[in-house]
Amino acid sequence: MTITDRAYAKAAPRVNIWTARELLWAWTTRTIRARYKQSILGGLWAIIQPAARAVILTIIFTRFIQIDTGNTPYIVFSYVAMVPWMFFSSALTDMVESLVHNMNLVTKIFFPREILPVAALLARFLDFAIAAVLLVVLMLLYRLPVLTVSLVYLPIVFLLQFALTLGLGLAGAAINVFYRDISHLFTFAIQILFYATPIIYPVSRVPESYQALYFLNPMAAIIEAYRSILLYQTPPDITLYASIPVVLLILILGYWIFKRLEAFFADVI
Amino acid sequence: MQPAILVKNLAKRYRLGGKLPPIWPMFRRDEDKPSENYHWAVNDVNFEVNPGEALGIIGPNGAGKTTILKLLSKVTRPTSGQIHVNGRFSALIELGAGFHPDLTGRENVYLNGIILGMKRTEIEQRFDQIVEFAGIGRYLDTPVKRYSSGMYARLGFSIAAHVDPDILLVDEVLAVGDYAFQVKCHARMDELRSRGTALILVSHNMDAVRRVCDRGLVMYRGEAIFQGSSAESVVAYSDAIREAARDAQNAVPTEGGLAQRVMTFDVEIKNVFLMNENGERISVVPSGSRVFVVLEICSAKDVHSPIIALAIRTPDGQRVYASTTKWLEQETPDFVAGECWRVEYALDLPLLNGSYDLSVNIGSSDFKHYYDRIENALSFEIVNSVNAKGIVDLDAEVNFRKMEPVQ
Repeated sequence: MTITDRAYAKAAPRVNIWTARELLWAWTTRTIRARYKQSILGGLWAIIQPAARAVILTIIFTRFIQIDTGNTPYIVFSYVAMVPWMFFSSALTDMVESLVHNMNLVTKIFFPREILPVAALLARFLDFAIAAVLLVVLMLLYRLPVLTVSLVYLPIVFLLQFALTLGLGLAGAAINVFYRDISHLFTFAIQILFYATPIIYPVSRVPESYQALYFLNPMAAIIEAYRSILLYQTPPDITLYASIPVVLLILILGYWIFKRLEAFFADVI
Repeated sequence: MQPAILVKNLAKRYRLGGKLPPIWPMFRRDEDKPSENYHWAVNDVNFEVNPGEALGIIGPNGAGKTTILKLLSKVTRPTSGQIHVNGRFSALIELGAGFHPDLTGRENVYLNGIILGMKRTEIEQRFDQIVEFAGIGRYLDTPVKRYSSGMYARLGFSIAAHVDPDILLVDEVLAVGDYAFQVKCHARMDELRSRGTALILVSHNMDAVRRVCDRGLVMYRGEAIFQGSSAESVVAYSDAIREAARDAQNAVPTEGGLAQRVMTFDVEIKNVFLMNENGERISVVPSGSRVFVVLEICSAKDVHSPIIALAIRTPDGQRVYASTTKWLEQETPDFVAGECWRVEYALDLPLLNGSYDLSVNIGSSDFKHYYDRIENALSFEIVNSVNAKGIVDLDAEVNFRKMEPVQ
């Protein structure tokens, strides 16, 4: 193996995220274990957070301000969106910080750098799965059908969300190494995006003239798709397919940025 | 034989200053602006290490030693130059990097092992060895944040030393841990080397370098100023340190501030070196041989019969020998302004293996003040002594004679 200035980028992929999958797994489980060490409720926090939010929103939007969600109880309506949203926002926040938080490792040991952000994403997947269990419980409680044919679309929607988070997270993590503004920017952008995504209100309340702009946000289409599949037993809207090229572009761009900057992490972090 | 590591014209440059790092050049991969303020952490370094060989990299702080290890382990990329690495390596740049304080010793063994490039199955096979070597058996299921710093370091070293690498990079880790553990570390490194592992040790601990390494590389301000046997390298390192200290001598007093003031520089010691009986300059001295300490002295003023003194100490300051021309009742000439003298001080050195420092000074005939003095003017290395511990070879001879039982 030869490392020269030019050949460096070519030499590095000899170890990639696949050859280092054991490390990816070890780092993911480390992140999860560490998160709930010395805590009494542990993994339950993955449910408590989205559930508490859904409860508060339910109080606000059924008692204070009426939002019409048709036949669907508001708590199910909002919780079904809250679960994937929390996955998106918490994974993204963790990913952006993943390299800087583990500065010690980045400057001391060589390993495929993608491990850190990807493990941060995978570690939040567990929270997502735990929170999803409560969704099933809620749906059963309100006697909504759980096992339906439309569930076949679920993997597509999930993969799309995963790819979007991955792309944004990789780019964010890499640039955050250079400029810490990125983590502030992401926190802020995620807050804004929360309101620009149909989580607390139905998409039907978005004025016609805003819709084209509205669905430029891929999360809008993704959340809406979760809702159609899980609550209305209908295939996802055309807007989901329209967001596929956007998501792919973000993923490719994010990965490219990460790979380009990777070699400089240890020097500038 | 193919070298385990071959390094050619290696150089690494860092930006200076606290400005935000520019991100665009990283994308374009073009040359940075030449107006930028740079520091060459490593500049044009060449070396190779063969399997089973141990190279010690020594040098003062900031000489670029750790940067070399980071370049070798691919943590950072070189600005220019080439590194050929042949085999799997394990780098011990920081003990227990990646340890999570909240996780237990057991969990961290797996995590750190995998980070260092082991497979899970390999760790399982060596798990007992790792724990045994680190000596943490009872605390295996305790979070490592409760460990003493010694236990933490021992576990870190133990994991890295069991990766079974073809190349092992070790940075300053032997400073941690007690004596018993250091002995264990040396034994482990010897064991790895006998199996063909190439070892690169970065250290300030000259004893460790001498004990473990065959060869040394002396780094000073980013450049490799010397390469040779580890004994010679240790001397070259001391020389470099002395040189730097001498440059700073006028600005920074060394001993309580006052001693410095006493130096008048009416007479200046221009050069000090060690010579053998064949007239060759040496820094490695076979035990028991006769050497000449040569001083080249120039006087700026007329000076009456100055006293010339020298002292030999061990690196930890223990005095081996000190004497002056006065004590030797040796007449010294009067120096006339502008004259230079070469003084040869002949000595027998029946010393035991190790490193020794030589200090010289020249003072006024009434002992009132120094004209010039150089602490640790040079270091030399005694080799080929008899097997004994201590400083001086007392020329032991042992006889056995049968005798009548003692009443």
